[in-house]
Amino acid sequence: MNRFITAGLIAVVTAGLSSAAETRSFATVVQPFVRKNCSGCHNASLMSGGLDLMSRQAADFAGKDRDLWEKVARRVEAGEMPPKPMPRPKEADIQAFESFIHAEFDRADRNMRPDPGRVTARRLNRYEYNNTIRDLLGVDFKPANDFPADDSGYGFDNIGDVLSLSPTLMEKYLAAAEQIAKKAIAADPPPKPTVERLKAELNSPHPQDFESKRNIGYQGDYDIRVQVAGQSTRGASHILKLAVKVDGEEHGAFEVDTAPDKKRGFDIRLPLTRGEHSFEAALTSAEEGFTIPFRIDHIELRGPFNPIPPPPPESHKRIFICGHANGQHNPECARTIMRDLVRRAFRRSVTDADFEPYLKFIAMAQTHGDSFEQGVRVALEAVLVSPEFLFRIEHDPDSGGPAAAHRINDFELATRLSYFLWSSMPDEELFRLAEQSKLHTPAVLEAEVRRMLRDPKAFALVENFGGQWLELRNLDSIQPDPDKFPTFDNELRAAMKRETQLFIQSIIREDRSVLDFIDGKYTYLNERLAKHYGIAGVTGPEFRRVELTGNQRGGVLTQASVLTVSSYAARTSPVLRGKFILENFLNSPPPPPPPDVPNLDESKIGVAGSVRQQFEAHRANPVCASCHMRMDPLGFALENYDAIGRWRTHEGKFPIDASGVMPDGRKFDGAAGMKQVLLGDRDQFARALTEKLLTYGLGRGLERYDRPAVQSICRRLQAKNYRFSALVLGIVESLPFQMRRGDANAITMSRARTDALVSKRSVDR
Amino acid sequence: MKKSLPRRTFLRGLGATIALPVLDAMTPALASGANRLAAKSPLRLSIVYVPNGIMMKDWTPQAEGAAFELPRILKPLEPFRDQILVLSGLTQNNGRALGDGPGDHARAAATFLTGVHPRKTYGADIQNGVSFDQIAAQHVGENTRFPSLELGCEDGRLVGNCDSGYSCAYSNSISWRTATTPNPPEINPRIVFERLFGANAADDAATRAKRRLYNKSILDFVLSDAKRLEGDLGPTDRRKLDEYLSAIRELERRIETAERDNKDIAPPMDKPAGVPVDYAEHARLMFDLQTIALQADLTRVITFMMGREGSTRPYREIGISEAHHPLTHHRNNPDMMEKVTQINCYHMEQFAYFLGKLKATPDGDGTLLDHSLILYGSGLSDGNRHSHNNLPNLIAGGACGTLKTGRHIQYPAETPMNNLFVTILDRMGVPTEKLGDSTGTLDQLTDV
Repeated sequence: MNRFITAGLIAVVTAGLSSAAETRSFATVVQPFVRKNCSGCHNASLMSGGLDLMSRQAADFAGKDRDLWEKVARRVEAGEMPPKPMPRPKEADIQAFESFIHAEFDRADRNMRPDPGRVTARRLNRYEYNNTIRDLLGVDFKPANDFPADDSGYGFDNIGDVLSLSPTLMEKYLAAAEQIAKKAIAADPPPKPTVERLKAELNSPHPQDFESKRNIGYQGDYDIRVQVAGQSTRGASHILKLAVKVDGEEHGAFEVDTAPDKKRGFDIRLPLTRGEHSFEAALTSAEEGFTIPFRIDHIELRGPFNPIPPPPPESHKRIFICGHANGQHNPECARTIMRDLVRRAFRRSVTDADFEPYLKFIAMAQTHGDSFEQGVRVALEAVLVSPEFLFRIEHDPDSGGPAAAHRINDFELATRLSYFLWSSMPDEELFRLAEQSKLHTPAVLEAEVRRMLRDPKAFALVENFGGQWLELRNLDSIQPDPDKFPTFDNELRAAMKRETQLFIQSIIREDRSVLDFIDGKYTYLNERLAKHYGIAGVTGPEFRRVELTGNQRGGVLTQASVLTVSSYAARTSPVLRGKFILENFLNSPPPPPPPDVPNLDESKIGVAGSVRQQFEAHRANPVCASCHMRMDPLGFALENYDAIGRWRTHEGKFPIDASGVMPDGRKFDGAAGMKQVLLGDRDQFARALTEKLLTYGLGRGLERYDRPAVQSICRRLQAKNYRFSALVLGIVESLPFQMRRGDANAITMSRARTDALVSKRSVDR
Repeated sequence: MKKSLPRRTFLRGLGATIALPVLDAMTPALASGANRLAAKSPLRLSIVYVPNGIMMKDWTPQAEGAAFELPRILKPLEPFRDQILVLSGLTQNNGRALGDGPGDHARAAATFLTGVHPRKTYGADIQNGVSFDQIAAQHVGENTRFPSLELGCEDGRLVGNCDSGYSCAYSNSISWRTATTPNPPEINPRIVFERLFGANAADDAATRAKRRLYNKSILDFVLSDAKRLEGDLGPTDRRKLDEYLSAIRELERRIETAERDNKDIAPPMDKPAGVPVDYAEHARLMFDLQTIALQADLTRVITFMMGREGSTRPYREIGISEAHHPLTHHRNNPDMMEKVTQINCYHMEQFAYFLGKLKATPDGDGTLLDHSLILYGSGLSDGNRHSHNNLPNLIAGGACGTLKTGRHIQYPAETPMNNLFVTILDRMGVPTEKLGDSTGTLDQLTDV
């Protein structure tokens, strides 16, 4: 059923018949309906589901009870309530009940002042921290990987209200800043020469031959001394040959006189690069039958002399945007360096007062004997633990009062955009457009969004949005029962994740319809995963696009990743899979199970009956049935896939029955049929996806006042054939993304400004 | 001693990261240790060995008693004149051949602190006596993390023939834990540092001190910056910034606590990169490490060989390219004798650096030098003739007031060196009736 169209029609009808509508009221429509159909359970004494509908007041109907009544209407509409085997109310009664509710609430919405909401200052989460450091400095070593895990809210780990900052994390920030500065800026003086002795093995069977390998840590010249030792020959002089090789190449040939008090140490000097080198020495005699009385005692390595510093890292060049390679930084240069660093780190334009305080760290370090570069390190550390780096803080303008809603400035918009699409800081182009105050202009904004979605950095959206929306991150920790699933290993685990990532990426990159998530007729496979799916003709470890035929696969719900994360270790769970679809595809999560629910008898599965038969026995309980009648059919449709996503027609000896009936009576068979049901509810899916992505993009949970924005984005998505870019552009151009309310309960947004924004958005391009 | 977490664990926490979750668990044990130290500074014993004998004419003062002139080799000790005792006339009789033929160098080192005649062998059946530093360590070592440290400046093979049929073990070690187990000296300052302070100790003390300063001023700055910022924000954003502010304050508190509790034991020096090529640099690094180990009360007994006995090291740093040992067989060649003297002086300069460090290090109610007894000497006097009598010995340091320093004492010829050891052990609270060939204690150390 297309709820939006229905709602729209009703709105038109009720608007036209406003006088008629006024004659209907809570007392004449809602209360009689509830009394007749709901009061048997939802009364003050039974309180089924904790709910007493009889005592609800008309005054609260469109106010604090609004969410409740919307839920009631939704469940009645879906056929879930009243639960079977209670009789279904008359269709006319249902129609009257629902149309009243929708009309009342639409009217309330029309009278509601637009409210963009307010995003709390967001701390960078671990992914954002790593990416930001990468893009700010060009060092890519993921310093945040040993930070404590970030808390999630509303299904995502980038929610400002939830991201907290403990002293332990602060400690990690400080330590990471030092580590990052050290990596990013080449400022360590070359080491002083040291001596190291490579000793021959004691009691070596070949004391005249010596070989040893050493790792040289710093490029430069090294003195290599070969020391021979042994019993000198008295009377006669024997001349031995000493050959010295470094890395297999001969670098010295010496004569060793065995007579007493002759030279025993032999030196060569060689330039050595960083890395492992081999050192060899061999003593030989040209005299036939002469037993060499000497051995190679040891080789001594001294160095580096004339050390050659390694080339400065890319990050070094990115920071030292003026001055010569080493030194030669005049005071103005320090200012230039810090101005640029602070600007990019704080993601905004800076004044002298913003970066000047950081210059004193350079001066401080220099007075303590450090170099200019080392001083910049300290200044960089201070920048990296500053609240303006660690948090994305948006400032309310001074004018308009503390509660005024206002358009965020272009730098804040650039920052919202880049963390939304890249999980990282804005790049130079975004900064430039922000500086010119052009970014918010619709044409520029759209072009930027399209550019950003094409950028490889948009993979962050796959990893972080996709990874959380489709719960792919859980794949890393899931451990299928090795006895039941001996073919599962880390390679398969990685392949599952990769498939879904590439699939999501294709939808973003190719700007495909988001409905492909439900039933895209292609995927990405390598040989391992293709075998897992029983698809022939894919060889080799690399992934490639594969067009899908038949009904077995298509869309993310039939990908092994999703099928595995929504299963238990030893078996499938129609409940988990049904819940997965309700939560993530329909954004209509079932309530948690009531306490004291008897568990499924695991020992009987596959013995006394299939999972399905076991579940149906479980569902005979009417308390359970009201929720499970929504969840289970969706999950049962996927019973042809085992707990690691392999196709199956039998479960043990029992044939799979993947048919189902939705609470509203729609019948289907198997995954293909269920996907048709979802495609029939495509706007509910579109709305769910919009709500998920908007939550992720804003970094806050959605409120009732966000509904108009969600509606408007959904309309745009629909009008643009569900193309992914329409979703992203809809979000980016929405009221909550572009504006921000001051921090007070009252909203004093100027009506004119809001109207301007709303009308701009409603003109669908 | 109160059971506490290993100090090394503790020090490791002082590295680049400031995470010190163990602090609370450690504080009580440390506090009691500090109290014990405050009550009375313990006596530290340090022995510094130089190889190949000494040019005695430039070592032995002319006059006895307090009114002596410092001869050329002792000149570097001028600043510490009042805190040294030059002891002449002591003999290690067991260093002599006693029927075993050549091998005086091996025997010189082997007997230096044992007074026991070593078995002539270059096989595995080495046999010597327990050295007196180890007897001291067995008694006072239980109070410290390391009962003793054995250090050196020159690498040597551990087995095999080093001197005329004597195992290298004899010439490489002056410290013997048992009659058959020498304590080989560690020569790499980096490894010594890691042993003392843990492999993960931050690599540099000046930098560490600087680091603390930098971190403090960074935290100070961001704290004030955040406060300024907070004024501009609404209540919900301010809550987030409050989290930040209290995290910073907590961090500052942790750093302060760590600093207060670690003041005495944080290594106040750089972590050495390895063995420096320059000899003086190497020796001084080793002396720095010894100073720190004594200061932090990580050990109270150290032996340090500035060279292995029979050393053939050339001292190119002071323009001597000939090997040390052959030079000492100078056969009265003035040029060679001069070079040996120069080497003797060069060693003494490094030793003076050590005494300077100890003197500059406050310890209890005085300095570390006041609470140390440092024996400097060689197992041979005349290296040319391999003499084992009239050994060059001097004691530096106040030995916690148990010595009357600033004098040259001439003992009767052939006075057993071990009598000195018995006397020192007595000062350390380790009464010993007989040690090797000792015949009693040495008089005149505390009074004239």
